[in-house]
Amino acid sequence: MSEPLLRAEGLTRHFSVGKLLSRQRLHAVDDVNFEIGRGEIVALVGESGSGKSTVARLLARVYKPTAGEITFEGRPVSTLRTRRQRLAYSSDVVMVFQDPYSSLNPAYRVTHPIERGLVLHRREVARRTRRAEVENSLGSVGLVPTGQVAAKFPHELSGGQRQRVGFAAALAAKPKLIVADEPVSMLDVSIRIGILNLMSELREREGVSFLYITHDVAGARYIADRVLVMYAGHLVEEGPTEDVIERPKHPYTQLLLSAVPDPRAPLGVSDAADVGEPPKVIDPKEGCRFRARCPLAIDRCETETPRLRPVGRGRLAACHVAEAD
Amino acid sequence: MSLPSVADSVEPVGATVGSGPPEEATKRSAGADLWRAIARNRKALVGLCILLFFVVLAAIPGQIAPDDPRAKIYPRGLGPSVHHLFGTTAYGEDVFSQLVYGTRQSILIAFAVGGLATLIAVLVGVSAGYLGGTTDGVLSLITDVILVIPIFPLIIVIAAYERNAGFLTLVVVLGVLGWSYGARQLRSQTLSLRRRDFLEAARVRGERRSYVIVREILPTMTSLILASFLGAALYAVLFAAGLQFIGLGNPNSQSWGTMLYWAENNEALGAGMPYWAIMPGVCVALLGAAFALLNYAFDEISSPALRLRKLENTGVDTEREAKAAVPARPPDPKNILEVRNLSVAYASEHGPVVAVDDVSFDLGRSEFLGVVGESACGKSTLVYAVARLLGAPLAGEITRGQVLFKGRDMVTLADRELRHIRWRDYSVVMQSAMNALNPVLTVAAQMRDACEAHSTMTRREIEARSKEVLRLVSIDPVHLYSYPHQLSGGMRQRAMIAMALLFTPELIIMDEPTSALDVVGQRSLMVQIKELQERLGFAVIFVTHDMSLVSHFSDRLLVMYAAQVAELGRTRQLFDRPLHPYTQGLLEAFPSIHGAKERLLGIPGSPPDLLHPPSGCRFAPRCPHVMDRCRAEPQRLLEVDGELVRCLLHEQAAASVPAKEGVA
Repeated sequence: MSEPLLRAEGLTRHFSVGKLLSRQRLHAVDDVNFEIGRGEIVALVGESGSGKSTVARLLARVYKPTAGEITFEGRPVSTLRTRRQRLAYSSDVVMVFQDPYSSLNPAYRVTHPIERGLVLHRREVARRTRRAEVENSLGSVGLVPTGQVAAKFPHELSGGQRQRVGFAAALAAKPKLIVADEPVSMLDVSIRIGILNLMSELREREGVSFLYITHDVAGARYIADRVLVMYAGHLVEEGPTEDVIERPKHPYTQLLLSAVPDPRAPLGVSDAADVGEPPKVIDPKEGCRFRARCPLAIDRCETETPRLRPVGRGRLAACHVAEAD
Repeated sequence: MSLPSVADSVEPVGATVGSGPPEEATKRSAGADLWRAIARNRKALVGLCILLFFVVLAAIPGQIAPDDPRAKIYPRGLGPSVHHLFGTTAYGEDVFSQLVYGTRQSILIAFAVGGLATLIAVLVGVSAGYLGGTTDGVLSLITDVILVIPIFPLIIVIAAYERNAGFLTLVVVLGVLGWSYGARQLRSQTLSLRRRDFLEAARVRGERRSYVIVREILPTMTSLILASFLGAALYAVLFAAGLQFIGLGNPNSQSWGTMLYWAENNEALGAGMPYWAIMPGVCVALLGAAFALLNYAFDEISSPALRLRKLENTGVDTEREAKAAVPARPPDPKNILEVRNLSVAYASEHGPVVAVDDVSFDLGRSEFLGVVGESACGKSTLVYAVARLLGAPLAGEITRGQVLFKGRDMVTLADRELRHIRWRDYSVVMQSAMNALNPVLTVAAQMRDACEAHSTMTRREIEARSKEVLRLVSIDPVHLYSYPHQLSGGMRQRAMIAMALLFTPELIIMDEPTSALDVVGQRSLMVQIKELQERLGFAVIFVTHDMSLVSHFSDRLLVMYAAQVAELGRTRQLFDRPLHPYTQGLLEAFPSIHGAKERLLGIPGSPPDLLHPPSGCRFAPRCPHVMDRCRAEPQRLLEVDGELVRCLLHEQAAASVPAKEGVA
């Protein structure tokens, strides 16, 4: 791969928590490095509280990184100064939100975000052709008949349809990267697959890259080329999706995989309940953040934070115990 | 994986609730909806009529009043007559004409103060709520200070200082002091909007802050802004009249308050000129009532919960059907629960919506039944009906059928009897623990409430039992004294289950208890529920949209589609050999982490509008195996190998089904 579309280096975001006198730092994202190639679908998986949504908001410039840098098409994001430059970035990197019931303004027709995307990012679309362009985007995400859909208010559409509107609004800006933050987790299982199919279809047709944020490994396997696994603010494993799922290296990835319900597998309630949860990382000390839940933990995990290291072709894992192929 | 084509993932829109014919759909707008809602609301109509009446008076007093209000040309103190509707004043002026001319000032003050106060309220409230931090701190402090100032005395002081206060002074004083209540409401509304995704979406899109506030936030708060305006207008009318009455206005101005002032000075009531004193008061009251009515009306229009309709008015005769349809058959003692021909309907503006249509199933003791289906298929309504939780604000009603719990019909049980059973014999775990738990009470307090309401346990017994149930669900008892927000999502759900276990019930109904959790949390909660069930022996009804979730845990599965039972059978058999095309679709809807990568299609299309369900098989519009006969007639449930399925494909294989209830 030559110059990637986006590169995150040492990406870190801390939040202040606690009272005025007992200020503490919550480490939501700590020293995260990854790349996203052109036309690539990268899945970022982890539990709630692992920091994956914070990564999405860092990429979308909702948050400023505490440290580290995002480089988009060779240009560091921190060097964007003027409104014009920032607008250009928000046209290249767009976001689709988790909750289809709160991501559309109830006071406007569903076309509102699409129209605004055109007004802000595609000035060349003249006012009188805008309507056609809006219907065009609706059609491209499979919302037909476009004329009828365009006249609707959010409450008149189902969750899956609203999520499609979210993608249509994202596409209106002609983006190069769509950051999709758990776009299907609040939808019925029966319509999730339609949204996943839409994403891979958009990649094929428009050449747009995706960062697909999810806690569902099976969904990640279904559409993603590469997978990043996050735990408690750290990236703990990275590699081609199929490899990672077939031979997970990090014990946390193994835990994630074992939690996926698979009705095709034989019945049996043998697995022990893991009642652990990702810790809130407040003023952390050295050591692996997964060690309390880890069945393989050794003494070294207490004292030394494992760094991502190569464990096979294109594979990285942050674990002292993980063995290379 | 093959490349998906556009046609595969098309989602036709139109079958959704509320979509009218196409031409209607394109013409409708939010404004038209609002007008229609106003036209239907009696309070709004009356309020609007009164307001309009006064506005007309205010606009063209010269055309309506017979006389110049200041012309002292008549005999003094006349009683009412044809020429002087309300008599004359002690100065020989026509009272009716004075009233008509006085309207203008009240209307102007109402609108000017309403406008000014609302403007300030919006500026302060929205900026405080949206910008937060120090701005919020300072603005909220100012708002609160103004809110607690005793306004009337203050206005009297100011007005007395500005002796003979004119119109402008009144407006400014009332406006500047009258915005704080509206500002408080707008601030809290903005605060609740701030975290909404559509605002974040606007920011990510690159909108300026001013655009976000003016074009994204304000339009969602029109009803609150309107309420703030109407409230301020009402208060302005009353205060202005009050001030003028005690002589703090300009005594030469034409207004109702000034009329009251002069009438009082001349002891009009005692001197045989009662209308001079009474009519301005009546006008103030009427105008005030108009604003108050409009305010109530908009409250009702903007929050549908306030305008619930009873089903009785909508054409479904609940009582008669309930009695007629259900034959008496003694319940099987092996079953903890028997649901027979249960139908539930909701009232809607367009008529009754049957959300559960003739559903029957049995539940054995210690059995685990999964109820699966898409959103709005009626699965939650079904279990709410079983638990008798359909009262306000849900407004659903059981129109037919029986729910036999331990042999007693829950449908006909009085509330008092229900209280003995609820929580002790059966309990319910709701979908969102954050909403179901009271945020301002500790877990201990909520458990204590439940115990005190349903038992005679002592404090000490309650505490011991609370700790015991927390241990059951693997929560350290130290969390007993935590508030819900101090627990993680998974722990809150566990705490909910612990509360349901307080009395070791024989049946626990769970409505999507895991849907707010991620995969790992879901899995561990499911394993835990199953362990508890095996240990304590209660029966479970588990509602979910995710079939794979219950695959390893439930004994039998009830698949619901569009308010009806589509398939009911043993879980393993359903997964290995699904009979209904809908069940097949559900099974093929989720990707696997094992085996070859296959391209999946899910189930194209959306469920039907329950207001107008298809006349034939309800799944026909989405069914890959649809035949002409499917569309022609409603399908019965067929019995195939001991399973029930509602599909013509299995007509050949179906055993001849005796016409007993349960297989209606």
